[in-house]
Amino acid sequence: MELSFQLKNNGSELTTLHAILVKLEKRWALSGKTVMELNLILDELVTNIIEHSGCDKECVIDIKLIKGNSEITLIVTDDSPPFDPTLTPAPDISLPLEERGCGGLGIHLVRKFSDGCRYKRAENRNVLTLIKKLPKEHR
Amino acid sequence: MKTEISQENDATIFTLSGRLDSHTAPQFEKEVEDYLISPENNLVLNFNNLEYISSAGLRIILNTAKAYKPTQYQFITCSMQDHVLEVFEISGLDTFITICRTLDDSLVALKDEV
Repeated sequence: MELSFQLKNNGSELTTLHAILVKLEKRWALSGKTVMELNLILDELVTNIIEHSGCDKECVIDIKLIKGNSEITLIVTDDSPPFDPTLTPAPDISLPLEERGCGGLGIHLVRKFSDGCRYKRAENRNVLTLIKKLPKEHR
Repeated sequence: MKTEISQENDATIFTLSGRLDSHTAPQFEKEVEDYLISPENNLVLNFNNLEYISSAGLRIILNTAKAYKPTQYQFITCSMQDHVLEVFEISGLDTFITICRTLDDSLVALKDEV
């Protein structure tokens, strides 16, 4: 099963993303938890693209979800300048409050809630492929 | 995303509902800003009706904790739904932010501090 959709580099598109995933929960018989985690992964990636693309130019973000037997593959493609989120250093979450910065939290959540992430630049677009394993009872 | 602000004894309570993401975070940041410049009261964030939080929301919570740290007042969060709590834990924010199970628990915790 596959689903493809497009979002623009505009924060209000996060509402669109949520609405699409809510529909998918029923159609693909996913758990609420899985949908929430897919939402968080895609939210953080889309937010990153919006921040890195610059607000003056409209970019298109293509999102494709492929449901396999035991996992969902997410492919996020955008035409903003080259940006590899997999190179973002992980934040040190053991630091005390005074030393904690805000950077890198989004990509940290993406890494924690997904099971593998690969970046490539192809045809002038950023292509990020992620794997999200499904819990046994929802395979 | 909606915020209701109320006062109880010596605490200001923010009750959040809806979704706190990068789209709604600026609005919430504005609402909480006035309370962070020079805190004059304890602050409780009640997450009972908050369905979702992303890193954009966590940033504001982190900055709130930082603003309260050097003051004599307490900053407490409460009533997190499981997913929101998990995001807090994965980000390590639970190590320095007090998370109470219920609003009543957080009001009791404030009393104990006095």
